[in-house]
Amino acid sequence: MADDVRTKPQQSANRIVNEPIPDATAGDGITGTGPLVYWRVFRTFVRNSLVRSMGFRANFWLECVSSVCWTIMNLVFFKIVFSYTDSIGRNTGWGENEFFVFLGTTWIITALIQTFVMPNAQEFSELIRTGHLDFALLKPIDTQFLISFPQMVWSNLANLFLGILLVGYAVLRLMADESNPLTLGFTQVGLYLFFILCGLVILYSVMIAMASTSIWLGRNQTLYTFWFYLTNFYRQPMEIYQQGMWGWTLWGFFTFVIPILLVVNVPARILAEPLRPGLDERTWSLAGLTLLVTLLMLGLSRWVFQAALTSYRSASS
Amino acid sequence: MTVWRSRVRLWWAIFRVSVEERLVYRGDFAFGTLMRFLPMLTQIFLWWAIFDAMAARPGETSDVNAIRIKGYNLHDMIAYMLLVMLARAFSSMPGLTSGIAGSIQKGEIKKFLIQPVDMLGSLLIQRIAHKLVYYLIAIGPFALVFFLCRSFFDAGFPAPDQLFGLVLALVGSFLLGFAMEACLGLVAFWLLEVTSLAFIFMLLTFFLSGHMFPLDLMPAPLDRLIGMLPFQYLAYFPSAVALGKVTGEDLVWGLVIQYLWVIGCWVLCRWLWVRGLVRYGGYGG
Amino acid sequence: MVTRIAPPEKPWRLASPKTMPLIEIDQLSKHYQVYQKQEGLWASVRGLFHRQYRQITALDAISLQVERGEFVAFLGPNGAGKTTTLKILSGVIHPTSGTCRVMGHVPWQRANAYRRRFALVMGQKNQLWWDLPAQESFRLHQHIYQIPAEQFQATRDELVDLLGLAKLMRQPVRELSLGERMKMELTAALLHRPEILFLDEPTIGLDVVAQHNIQQFLKHYQEVRSITILLTSHYMKDIEALCQRVVIINEGRIQFDGSLAEIVGKFDQERIVSLRLADTTGIADLQQFGRVTRSQPPQVQLRIPRSQVTSALTEILNRYQVDDVSVSDPPLEEVFAHLFTQGREATDQGASAPKEDMAGSRRLTGEARH
Ligand SMILES: Nc1ncnc2c1ncn2[C@@H]1O[C@H](COP(=O)(O)OP(=O)(O)O)[C@@H](O)[C@H]1O
Ligand SMILES: [Mg+2]
Repeated sequence: MADDVRTKPQQSANRIVNEPIPDATAGDGITGTGPLVYWRVFRTFVRNSLVRSMGFRANFWLECVSSVCWTIMNLVFFKIVFSYTDSIGRNTGWGENEFFVFLGTTWIITALIQTFVMPNAQEFSELIRTGHLDFALLKPIDTQFLISFPQMVWSNLANLFLGILLVGYAVLRLMADESNPLTLGFTQVGLYLFFILCGLVILYSVMIAMASTSIWLGRNQTLYTFWFYLTNFYRQPMEIYQQGMWGWTLWGFFTFVIPILLVVNVPARILAEPLRPGLDERTWSLAGLTLLVTLLMLGLSRWVFQAALTSYRSASS
Repeated sequence: MTVWRSRVRLWWAIFRVSVEERLVYRGDFAFGTLMRFLPMLTQIFLWWAIFDAMAARPGETSDVNAIRIKGYNLHDMIAYMLLVMLARAFSSMPGLTSGIAGSIQKGEIKKFLIQPVDMLGSLLIQRIAHKLVYYLIAIGPFALVFFLCRSFFDAGFPAPDQLFGLVLALVGSFLLGFAMEACLGLVAFWLLEVTSLAFIFMLLTFFLSGHMFPLDLMPAPLDRLIGMLPFQYLAYFPSAVALGKVTGEDLVWGLVIQYLWVIGCWVLCRWLWVRGLVRYGGYGG
Repeated sequence: MVTRIAPPEKPWRLASPKTMPLIEIDQLSKHYQVYQKQEGLWASVRGLFHRQYRQITALDAISLQVERGEFVAFLGPNGAGKTTTLKILSGVIHPTSGTCRVMGHVPWQRANAYRRRFALVMGQKNQLWWDLPAQESFRLHQHIYQIPAEQFQATRDELVDLLGLAKLMRQPVRELSLGERMKMELTAALLHRPEILFLDEPTIGLDVVAQHNIQQFLKHYQEVRSITILLTSHYMKDIEALCQRVVIINEGRIQFDGSLAEIVGKFDQERIVSLRLADTTGIADLQQFGRVTRSQPPQVQLRIPRSQVTSALTEILNRYQVDDVSVSDPPLEEVFAHLFTQGREATDQGASAPKEDMAGSRRLTGEARH
């Protein structure tokens, strides 16, 4: 076997010599870093993660079960709640069906985040801890992009379908409501989808900024726990906080500082119109704010990420 | 006697090392402790909104505090949430299941076959050390939150006998939580995918232990089932004791059943360990 | 055992005298602050509020130039700062002070134009996707480095062919042996045809055959492609087999920079003479020619100062009945061990003779910063 390899170089030597030898200036010639490159790399990530989850099928189904389990528990809880009350908050308009639109939207967003963002944020912390971030830093492509998308946990997507089902069901019920029916146009559905996207970007930014801090903090075991707690805040209609000094403080904090209250509230309000008929002024101003905040947060996360990288120590091998 | 002394010395050594290990990661630690209080806030506001909406219904006295759901008014509900936090601070065992499963799968348990240290025993001591360190830091925030929220405890500070019951229930919930999660970890001798299982278990615990809401609210068929499971002793039972919802004979019986569960789970744990080792040995390590 | 290395041609000085060196390092330093774990329970509690740090000097103002086409070995004991140097050169970490230019770029600015032109392979960290066949990682590299499809295929096939990997392409990386994995890592790193290759202990943990294969491959590839390679290792075999130039680092400083032959010439004043005698009478008298390092009659091993080897041998052959004789250099390990201890003595004589830890590799220059 050793001989085999030892003789190989001679055999194929000619072939290599015939190739153009890269010279000093050649490297600078390739500069096309269009969006196409990013798309191709992203597609490869999708491919690789699919191939991988096919390799662990039992695990895949168990994970599906666990995420669905959590979702069902949520539904049961609110079913119980709505057996005692008919709305969440006084005059907020979040009756059972409106709220189920909200709940379904929460599931959709959470599912997408847990499929695409969460695993990468966790992996990023791990890369820092083990020093494997080195390899991402070597690649001639945006480092933040490279660490943001390689892992996808497809089993978490199960809740996306449950969410769509719940939203669909609740919207149909609302449209069939005789006393105050909901009417939906294409623009409204489009806006709903658009603001879901904004919400995803906001959550992504929060996560990446948080994960970046593990460069400074050493290890960041609590990231997942923190995420779990954070989701507790965006999972409720924001009206519940708009009461008393503490409530307003919280509302202000989670609307303007860590703006996760906007994530579900804005799209859910747009679709369910809790204060029908039509979209009220508050919804519109919140939507405007969300747009602004999305851009700001994206910029901020990028800044934190870059700042953290300069402190990266590359844990020794 | 000397056997015992050396054993106690060993336990003390494990305890010390575990405490030091925890203290190294200061940043994480403070962060994690702080985070624990976050979900409670949402709960308070959510329940407030629910009771408020109920009070606004036509025909109701529009006083929020007069509204009751299954005997819980808003104050009780909030007090319950606070107490559940306290109970879970005792009964939750982060990382125990996955730790055991991991050391089984990586073959690290071999060292327990060689060294004269009992794995479950030393894990228990480690856990006590970790918990004590946790309380050392968490007692500040906990005391502060309970003090700020003292007005929600309509019944006031629990009476001495109730307090005694509460302490027993909390210690019981710690032991039960440990035994249950350790059992789950030991399943790794037979199953590969314990981590996902542990996650499902965690979710179930959240729901079935009364962490999410008081178990009294459960609708008819579910409540019977939940009454027959040990989960309620991890969160619901200690909280109900502290709120004065379980008193006298009920309290005594509750404690007896809780500790029977502790013994039961611990025996199961031991059994799984012994069977597991036999199986492990069968593979030749 | 060790035969004479080819006379020093100093190819690195001949390479391209007019142009700028490919790699230019000037006064580069790197310090690490490390958290000092306190002993004892009470100290740990205090550590919650007040942390003690200690400064480690990984690199202490090193300066170095490398020309295109050189094959340079960094040699030094553990903790000497070899990996740190490579990490700074590849832009993974920022230095504390000093400047550095590689192909005109400042590495830690991480310009894409720079990152396309080099590769880093680390023996102890792998970058391939663990659960997938290496092929999938290669494809990812193709897209990241924007390698045109034909070039990608041609390069990959050559490398796979050279390294004998064809049969392993479909196997998940986690199922490969250490040696096979390293070959895959090399392939992945070379797919974009880097001009500079940084190799950090590429043969660590490999068996002799695998080590040899990788050395052969590197030698061949470097000759044919005339790329520049910086390699760190503490296997002497690697260096003997591959490098024209050796840079010895110890405690973050460069102790020596020159050809392997120079080192041997400079630091090794003795040669080893092994004899097998037909007649063992008068064997004790042999020590008049040099130090007897082993005596297992009829075999004797002597160390003789280099200048006297010829005369001593003539004398011995005259006086004794010798069945077999061989002359060799002392093993390189010994030469290097000698070098490292010399370096340490030099540091110890410095003004603030610092304390050594067991590995003799860390110097503590600062204490207790908040
Ligand atoms: N991320 C890090 N944090 C703290 N100290 C480090 C780190 N990386 C390296 N060091 C220290 O720097 C010194 C040089 O390390 P390194 O360059 O890895 O040595 P080697 O020559 O063995 O490759 C060592 O003392 C090491 O402990
Ligand atoms: Mg090294």
